[in-house]
Amino acid sequence: MDLVKLYFRSPPAVIGLVLLILVLVMAASADFLYPRDPLALAGRPLIWPFSNPRFLLGTDNSGRDIAAQIFHGARISLLIGGVATAISIMIGITIGALAGYYGAYVDTALMRVTEAFQTLPNFLLLLVLVAVFGSTITTVTVAIGIVSWPASARLTRAEFLSLRNREFVQAGRTLGLRDIRLIFGEILPNALPPVIVYASVVMAIAILLESALAFLKLSDPNVASWGNLIGAGRDVLRVQWYVSAIPGIAILVTVLAVSLVGQGLNDALNPRLKSR
Amino acid sequence: MDMTRRAALKTSAAIASSVLFPMRSFAQETPRKGGVFTVHYGAEQRQLNPSLQASTGVYIIGGKIQEQLVDLDAKGQPVGVLAESWEASPDGKTITFKLRPGVTWHDGKPFTSADVQFTAMEMWKKILNYGTTLQLFLTAVDTPDPLTAVFRYERPMPLNLLLRALPDLGYVSPRHLYEGKGDIRQNPVNLAPVGTGPFKFVQYERGQHVIAERNANYWRANAPYLDRIVWRVVTDRAAAAAQMEAGQIHYSPFSGLTISDSARLGKDPRFIVSTKGNEGNARTNTIEFNFRRKELADIRVRRAIAHALDIPFFIENFLGDFAKRGTGPIPSVSTDFYPADNGPQYPFDKKLAAKLLDEAGFKPGAGGTRFSLRLLPAPWGEDVSLFATFIQQSLADVGIKVDIVRTDGGGFLKQVYDDHAFDLATGWHQYRNDPAVSTTVWYRSGQPKGAPWTNQWDWTDPTIDKIIDDAATEVDAAKRKALYGDFVRRANTELPIWTPIEQIFLTAISAKARNHSNTPRWGSSSWHDLWLAE
Repeated sequence: MDLVKLYFRSPPAVIGLVLLILVLVMAASADFLYPRDPLALAGRPLIWPFSNPRFLLGTDNSGRDIAAQIFHGARISLLIGGVATAISIMIGITIGALAGYYGAYVDTALMRVTEAFQTLPNFLLLLVLVAVFGSTITTVTVAIGIVSWPASARLTRAEFLSLRNREFVQAGRTLGLRDIRLIFGEILPNALPPVIVYASVVMAIAILLESALAFLKLSDPNVASWGNLIGAGRDVLRVQWYVSAIPGIAILVTVLAVSLVGQGLNDALNPRLKSR
Repeated sequence: MDMTRRAALKTSAAIASSVLFPMRSFAQETPRKGGVFTVHYGAEQRQLNPSLQASTGVYIIGGKIQEQLVDLDAKGQPVGVLAESWEASPDGKTITFKLRPGVTWHDGKPFTSADVQFTAMEMWKKILNYGTTLQLFLTAVDTPDPLTAVFRYERPMPLNLLLRALPDLGYVSPRHLYEGKGDIRQNPVNLAPVGTGPFKFVQYERGQHVIAERNANYWRANAPYLDRIVWRVVTDRAAAAAQMEAGQIHYSPFSGLTISDSARLGKDPRFIVSTKGNEGNARTNTIEFNFRRKELADIRVRRAIAHALDIPFFIENFLGDFAKRGTGPIPSVSTDFYPADNGPQYPFDKKLAAKLLDEAGFKPGAGGTRFSLRLLPAPWGEDVSLFATFIQQSLADVGIKVDIVRTDGGGFLKQVYDDHAFDLATGWHQYRNDPAVSTTVWYRSGQPKGAPWTNQWDWTDPTIDKIIDDAATEVDAAKRKALYGDFVRRANTELPIWTPIEQIFLTAISAKARNHSNTPRWGSSSWHDLWLAE
């Protein structure tokens, strides 16, 4: 309860939460408000927003309803953000936990692998993965998860390094608990808060990565994602700029919401900021 | 501000018709030597040698470096380049070319009939995508002396056909750099071509640029005017338009810009946007069916797909005045060969489409989907990607789920024509003055695997093969035209590919350019007389 109170004390965190709920409502109501396939031909192409009551946000250069794509795209963006983050955090936690707990050569080996991944710009690696495995929504999501785990691995490792010799861990060891139990049952729950905060950053990055891919027309063209709409709008950017601008605003709002919520969580979970 | 696409299309058409040609005081101007001409290069190909791949994407570069025996003049008539004169024997089986003396390759070796012999027998006949069909009955090229090449055919070759084909399918490669150097297709010279043309190859940085410079030893006196040509690889069409406005690109050929940007640049006095100089490159949008899919091997499914597309709607709303309903593989601009009766036309009829699919046994399953198809759109031209989306949207309405697979230029050619890893593909078919040049190869069986823009659909029809072969060897013009009528009707009946839209390419060029767009295939030509005003 304390945590909730602390969270709501910060206005940016509240704004973030409201925006995030808004995006979630959009995703949830997409089928209800726009029951047709959002990629279907809806009308004449390139109708300006607010000029035709049937298409509140206008149509894109393929004659698809932009509003329908924004609502359905919210699902795709949240799905990609959520799943990719889960994959990334899971890989990160596993590698970080093993490295931090066992130390020595396990740590050395795993950290060298992590560094190898970190030296590659993650967007370039993503391009390679998508080029090799194709650009379906599944491969894109998994690929984003795969390129964005190193930071969470380092974070988890740092937490483990500081926790592994605490009394409660020593006690567990004396009681004869097995490593697996110690890692996942005892240390991890205590190491988790900063990782959870970091997950919000990963989620924001994942959404941006998918949009960047789609902007280069390398994402899955068969789903209504915001990035795809921006990519399609690129062809008419100079005159019908709204085709790219509208999904751009949607991405901006979502990434901002996720980041603000993450920041709010961070502040609320940080004991040293309590008295501020 | 609130300019709809339709308005944009109207404006662009008005521009195209009013600014047919920049009739400025050309006569008083003295050609200026020097200058760098920059060209928008939208889709990289796998190589640059036009003796091996007939496509505008290769000619736009290779056509300045290598030359062909014959090109087209301003009136569209054959004019000698590497050949000075030609004559056919009365039986049509022997055609003799007298070659131009004193021509040297860029590496200094003399150009002779041995080069023509090697290129014709090893490249045009065996590898070149349209050449394999055109030269099917070529048995030998004799070289009685270094400046005479005698083409011998098993069946008569109409001289008129050969002369209309050679501007595209008559590029000569240097024998000494290919013979005995292993697989011709893999020869590194293909990426650093050596020719006899007005410009010498300098550098190719993949994904960046290609550079060619003035050939000081060019055989035409006082040519070329330009110091250099730089082709900048810009895959993003909107970025290419921005670079034109910034003065970094002078010329964007073959509808390389978006429709809305073309309209915008057309109103800018710094540019000329026009269809001029592209008369020899009429094109049709295609849908290619892969017969390896059992669904598509069924004629009823192919017809259903054609009936499911509202082509007039697409043209009116997406393409505008530069496009019209296509009637078959031979476009209506071909006055010599356009048949009076084109056979079945497949008007938009969703109910009939659904009925045909039902009859073929593909009933809607869960969610109303009958089956799924992978569609590969060629990455050239905004119209292709718009058409791909339109196909996806239209077929969803009759229960066929279409997954669009995006690729780059090389990837598209490889997946469709080499790996056959597609169900549907859509791109352009280019008609080049005579159906036997680049049209019938889309239908004739027996094309070498991997040859782009040829029949790779796993579709064999002895009837159409016979029509194609007979027409290609028919010396009588009226009989030839009648045979091509049969060809079009058969193609539209069997529908191995569908050609529902007909267009002419649009180019955007800087108003500083002179002597441009002055031949029917200007974008592909050698630009020996092109110059840039101050």
